[in-house]
Amino acid sequence: MTSDQNTSNNPIDNSSEKSFAIGSAPSAPLHSSKSSPWLIVWAGISIALPILLLYIYSCKPEAFSFAGVELKQILGNQDVDAMLATLDEPEEATNNAAPSTAIPDTAKSSVAMDSALPFLTHASGVFTLPTYELPVFADTTKHRILLIGDSESGGLRYPLNDYCLANGHKLVLSMEWYSATVFNFGRSDTIDKIIARFKPTYIFLVFGLNELYARDLKARKIAANQLAKKLRNIPYAWIGPANWDEDYGINKVFKSSADSGTFFLTKNLTLTRAGDGRHPDVQGYRVWMDSVANWLQTSAKYKMAMKPPRKRGRPFRSSIITLNAAKYRGY
Amino acid sequence: MPPNTVDTNWINNIFAPLHDPQLLQRIFSYSTKEPWFFTEFSFLAVFGIFLIFYAAIIQRNAWRKAYIIAFSLFFYYKSSGPFLGLFALMILSDYLFALFIQKKSGIAKKVLLWISLSYSLSFLLYFKYANFFIHNCNELFGTQFTDHNLFLPIGISFYTFQSISYLMDVYRNEIPASKNVSDYAFYMTFFPHLVAGPIVRAKDFLPQIVDPQPINATLYKESLLRIMSGLLKKLFIADYIGKYVDIVHELPQNFSGAENLLAMYGYSFQIYFDFSGYSDIAIGIALMLGYRLKENFENPYTSTNVTVFWRKWHISLSSWLKDYIYIPLGGNRKGEFNTYLFLLITMLVGGFWHGADWRFVFWGLAHGLALAFHKAWRQLFPKENNSHWSRIASTAITFHFVAFCWIFFRATSFGSAFASIEQIVFHTKWQDFTGFWDSRSEMGILLFIAAIIAFFPPKIKEKLFQEIQILPTFTWILWMTIALQIIIQFKDDVVQPFIYFQF
Repeated sequence: MTSDQNTSNNPIDNSSEKSFAIGSAPSAPLHSSKSSPWLIVWAGISIALPILLLYIYSCKPEAFSFAGVELKQILGNQDVDAMLATLDEPEEATNNAAPSTAIPDTAKSSVAMDSALPFLTHASGVFTLPTYELPVFADTTKHRILLIGDSESGGLRYPLNDYCLANGHKLVLSMEWYSATVFNFGRSDTIDKIIARFKPTYIFLVFGLNELYARDLKARKIAANQLAKKLRNIPYAWIGPANWDEDYGINKVFKSSADSGTFFLTKNLTLTRAGDGRHPDVQGYRVWMDSVANWLQTSAKYKMAMKPPRKRGRPFRSSIITLNAAKYRGY
Repeated sequence: MPPNTVDTNWINNIFAPLHDPQLLQRIFSYSTKEPWFFTEFSFLAVFGIFLIFYAAIIQRNAWRKAYIIAFSLFFYYKSSGPFLGLFALMILSDYLFALFIQKKSGIAKKVLLWISLSYSLSFLLYFKYANFFIHNCNELFGTQFTDHNLFLPIGISFYTFQSISYLMDVYRNEIPASKNVSDYAFYMTFFPHLVAGPIVRAKDFLPQIVDPQPINATLYKESLLRIMSGLLKKLFIADYIGKYVDIVHELPQNFSGAENLLAMYGYSFQIYFDFSGYSDIAIGIALMLGYRLKENFENPYTSTNVTVFWRKWHISLSSWLKDYIYIPLGGNRKGEFNTYLFLLITMLVGGFWHGADWRFVFWGLAHGLALAFHKAWRQLFPKENNSHWSRIASTAITFHFVAFCWIFFRATSFGSAFASIEQIVFHTKWQDFTGFWDSRSEMGILLFIAAIIAFFPPKIKEKLFQEIQILPTFTWILWMTIALQIIIQFKDDVVQPFIYFQF
């Protein structure tokens, strides 16, 4: 097209022009012979049959494995979609629940403090702590808390630390597994080892930010069940990822694998974000933790004392384990 | 249940869709959001069944034509619904215009041509570019025109160009106007090229309608191989690489220079494998019906300069632009300055055709300037250095220029494109490559494979294709099954999104 010169050095141009304009090209001596209808039937079968076979295979409940690799099914995801459709939408974050017992002074002061921040007002539509009265939580058990999660846990541990110090809990370990997904947590025995070693009485799980766009939900559901199995004997709070975008169902998968009342849906909270647009920023993590704490006192299955701390940003002295899923998958 | 019996309840699942009360409704409903492309497995299954009935009527050309037109219209309806009416209107009017143009001569002929061209183009201009002009008008003059809520009818860019080529060819007396409306409708609606090309010329295609290729074993194997390799190119290689490219281009400033650089290469391969894979499927499907469409890609990344690149990249578009814009403008017949000017105009139109956005115009301009530069260079240094090393160097330079321009093509905005370039130029460090390899070795391997295929010597590639075609006919079902399973295997694999997320 760059010059008027014809691009007829193109062999295909030549052959096709000759064969159809003139009717006799070396590459197509086909006009002399007739089409074979049986060959066309065979062509139809060659295309339709493989798809039929794969469709039949995908109707089978169990997948085959070949050399240790699971052969995926075409309809695999649709199955999960159907399964997920029958599940309830995970419960809303409970910042709207309205318990009616007397409010501790500490909570009031905390509300006052956070409300003073410019972005934590109704007008900005970001988030406000409940204006109703928080309940007095009678159970004063002091827990040994283990926080496990992806990069989100690295931010959430600081406000959690404030809460632990205010309520007499001990944050024994924060394990931050960068870029980890439910596969790392479910398939590996890393969590078992850590539980055996640190003997926590309460576990916080927070991850899922790396798998908002995951579509292989069936496989993730299996891993989530494996993870839930590891946590059978210890009270836990499974905190959903802080979605910056709509997910393809990972929240539903987590919710369905967690015991009822142990999953906290973060998705609907509006959190301020860090410069990357994805992770919450410092204030975002605080607001998130406030919301989780409120839920832990009011409607979680395993409740615990979580009155708001008077002072924020206290020094962090717990142990930290850092892993990177890019370098250590764990399974 | 006794322990030895096999649970066969799942077999009932196979027939579940047949019991679906909304089955018919689902078959005959259209969705503009989820168009029915060749890459849908449901399309391939229906096409396979379509072929079996096709075999029964293959000997009667009139039936065969009617059958294909009916299927093509159904195919278009599935993706565009009511816009089928618009398409049919355009076919009918082109057919009549062409007949009138042929009968007239002199100034009347010219006026008719202009009327028919403006009529054809008006649809494209309205649906594709109306909002673009409104936006720019509002920006420039502070006007308050509101956007039109427009759906771009599928394939309109392609079939409008086909219609223009037909009208102009009739005007230039290169082909006679089609006497039979069904022939012209067949040419325009033929479903393999309908949605995304190749842009077929009437003079290549109309003769085939009367005299299609007989379908024999060679043709059968060639067409299946084309379809299979096209599916692998598009659904496996391009889509998998695309996942990575999407992540980076969402927020390029969040990724290291190395990752941006690899995304640039990745997108170059993605767009090539995506489009050439699609063209392969289209050509393969047409071939299976007995019609040969022209090649659309010929190993474009092995080109040693931009001019050659444009002879090998999206050939049906670039040759269209040459024949219907560059040459009618004056080509190289109106002086040196004008030649360069026409070249630039042609490339600007080509860029703008890709989408209603200044980024595409800029992309066209960059390629236009490069073509002009190469033309000038050739005039200054007419002797070509054909040594091995100089060929390698010029191939690398050409590829890098093209890949660089793709950044503007892919980025979501100019700002994002410049952010990506800034990361590449100022923040590329060696350790980021090793980090990439540690965390995304699968992607690294796939990029490498894509590069090998893209730069593989064409001659060896052709030979390999011929070798594969010797495979026994009955084994093709097995190969097809394996190819489809590979696609399924990688389709939902989520690319680890964030290695950058470490604070």
